[in-house]
Amino acid sequence: MRNKPGFFFYLFLAGFLIAVLFPFFWLAITSIKPAGELFGADAFRILTDNPTLDNYVKVFTDYPFASYMWNSTVVAVVTTVYCVFVASIAAYAIARLRFWGKSIVLGIVLAVSMFPQIATLSPIFMFMQSTELTNSYLGLIIPYTTFALPLALWNMTNFFRKIPFELEEAAKMDGATTWQALWKVIFPLAVPGTFTTAILVFIAAWNEFFFALTINTEEGMKTVPVGIALFQGRFSIPWADISAASVIVTIPLVVMVLLFQRRIVSGLTSGAVKE
Amino acid sequence: MSLRPLRLSQLIRKIRRGTKPKSTEKSGENMKKGKGLSERSLGYLLILPAMLLILVIAIYPVGRSFYLSLYDVRLNDPTKLEPHASYGINVERYANVMPFLVSSLDHEIEKAEGKHKERLKNIKQDVLKARSTLESDEELADTYQQVNQILNEGKKVPQNMKSVHLDEEKVHNATQLITGVKKNLESMEKAEQLDESRQVVGLAKGLLSAFIEPNFVGLQYYANYFQDHRMWASLSNTMIFTVISVSLELVLGMAIALLINRQFFGRGLVRASVLIPWALPTAVAALMWKFLFDGQNGVMAKLFTEVGLIPDMGTLLTTKFWSMFAVIFADVWKTTPFMALLILAGLQTIPKNLYEAAEVDGASKVQQFFKITLPMLRTTVLVALLFRLLDAFRVFDLIYVLTGGGPANATETISVYAYKTMFSQMNFGEGSALAVIVFICIAIISMIFVKLLGRDLISDGSGK
Repeated sequence: MRNKPGFFFYLFLAGFLIAVLFPFFWLAITSIKPAGELFGADAFRILTDNPTLDNYVKVFTDYPFASYMWNSTVVAVVTTVYCVFVASIAAYAIARLRFWGKSIVLGIVLAVSMFPQIATLSPIFMFMQSTELTNSYLGLIIPYTTFALPLALWNMTNFFRKIPFELEEAAKMDGATTWQALWKVIFPLAVPGTFTTAILVFIAAWNEFFFALTINTEEGMKTVPVGIALFQGRFSIPWADISAASVIVTIPLVVMVLLFQRRIVSGLTSGAVKE
Repeated sequence: MSLRPLRLSQLIRKIRRGTKPKSTEKSGENMKKGKGLSERSLGYLLILPAMLLILVIAIYPVGRSFYLSLYDVRLNDPTKLEPHASYGINVERYANVMPFLVSSLDHEIEKAEGKHKERLKNIKQDVLKARSTLESDEELADTYQQVNQILNEGKKVPQNMKSVHLDEEKVHNATQLITGVKKNLESMEKAEQLDESRQVVGLAKGLLSAFIEPNFVGLQYYANYFQDHRMWASLSNTMIFTVISVSLELVLGMAIALLINRQFFGRGLVRASVLIPWALPTAVAALMWKFLFDGQNGVMAKLFTEVGLIPDMGTLLTTKFWSMFAVIFADVWKTTPFMALLILAGLQTIPKNLYEAAEVDGASKVQQFFKITLPMLRTTVLVALLFRLLDAFRVFDLIYVLTGGGPANATETISVYAYKTMFSQMNFGEGSALAVIVFICIAIISMIFVKLLGRDLISDGSGK
């Protein structure tokens, strides 16, 4: 597979990129069309003569979109910080310390990460209702633990394993306790891995739909995915508003992906690929 | 889930290998002994918070789901809000209703005349009889006093005082009496013989809903679902969706990974653009495709029609076959890039000299693919397949937003069906049974893969 890429290769590549990116392109086009060009023959024109930002303004004035964004941010950030913290402590123990039952612990973590959300939904929903935690941040942060913690634990364990054992041993030889070795040697080395894990957990929490749909039903407490999915027009589905809102949520994602693509890919593949 | 990733013998071998002392570690161990916690205790201490959280927030609810599925729990019926194993009464509700029912009857008696007055007096007798029957139970009488006081102070009634167990006979008698009261009052309401009919009838109904009857149904829901056409249809929809979309993603992902596994101009750009569909919320992606597939303004629907794939634009989201096609298409668009990335990472770990050696021996490209690439990718592909299969099997967001399970349940998967049972009909017991069925299916898929993958899935780092 060392042959130089030829014309057909780039042709294929272009086709692939178009297939992947066309929907975004079309959303961006739709989001700047004035209301009159959304229907009929105009709906299929690639360019508009009267580009407008009205739809973007409408997203914030007609819907509580700013509070959707804020809710999503709070829930995703808190979930990420606390899950990564708890997971990194446990992952350190699993990867570096010797005790019986590690494989069982990892097996449980993996099994829990495979749980279908629907199987935990009814008791969690009833619990949230009886404790009046529906329509609150905590009402989402608690159930988000079900997927965020196993995800973080699994990734952090893989990262901790990659740190050479010799470093820790050297620290212990010099008289450091396990705690000191952990804080002064291992954690600084684990920062990149922690960061990668945090990105993955954040994206998972930001994108979550099922719990958010069922637990936070009040308009002011909805998260972005649920908010956009339930955008309602008076007569028809407000595609222009939806397009504008989708563009708004996609842009930070694109920036994040461009900045951290290497980390994301290494985090995604660390579980599946043995190096 | 009884996930048994390792057979016992493997486990023991692993532990032995793990504890084989290296000389340096040994000295470290000796040094630590004087400083409190042993490595093992520290290990357990560190994993404790995470394991507790997982146990309480993830594992317990699954067990609880199964428990709920044995009961007729309905969130829109005040007598069935929770699973009840025995007869009893909701004390809070009782305390909120009984005194007012009596005083409201007194008011009616005062206002009424002649034979209506007599009838109301009889009704009141029945209510009082029911009350004395119930309150002959000491526990209820006690709790009732306390709850009454709490309510008078305007505080919240604690969970353990909300209900009290009663004899089946007492509940039966009281229920019979109050049912009679309600019927009588209703007939008087119809004949317009009551002063404040809505209040007094409402109170009688409220009192009835305070009685708790056991709503244990055992495995009834499972037996029903076994013969439920809609359940089998949704299960088969789920399987069709899972098998077709995951196979397409695997084949396309593999092809793309093989093609871009080389140096070329713009590699970073391709990788970044491939990540965007993966990072986009599924709900937003589904909405986007709903727009592109729209029967009036959807540009993809238009494109498919022009190409001759579908007779007219509306076909895509309104017919059985094409709506499933649309859902699978959207899923393939969203997750193929992810698959390609995983396989690409796997490809890059295959040592180049293997291919060089094969070339020297005169193996063709095709032979190289089947003899080197595929075997070396086995673990990567199996792990990727496992996660994709499970994800696809529990699919909810995509279908809920894109088709809502329609048209005519043609794309309704089992998760969507369970959601509708729970949140449209508020049948939490019945919906939980469906959720448990999803769980069991997923457990079966996982176990098959764990058997296939064996120790590759959960290696503790020592077995490299």
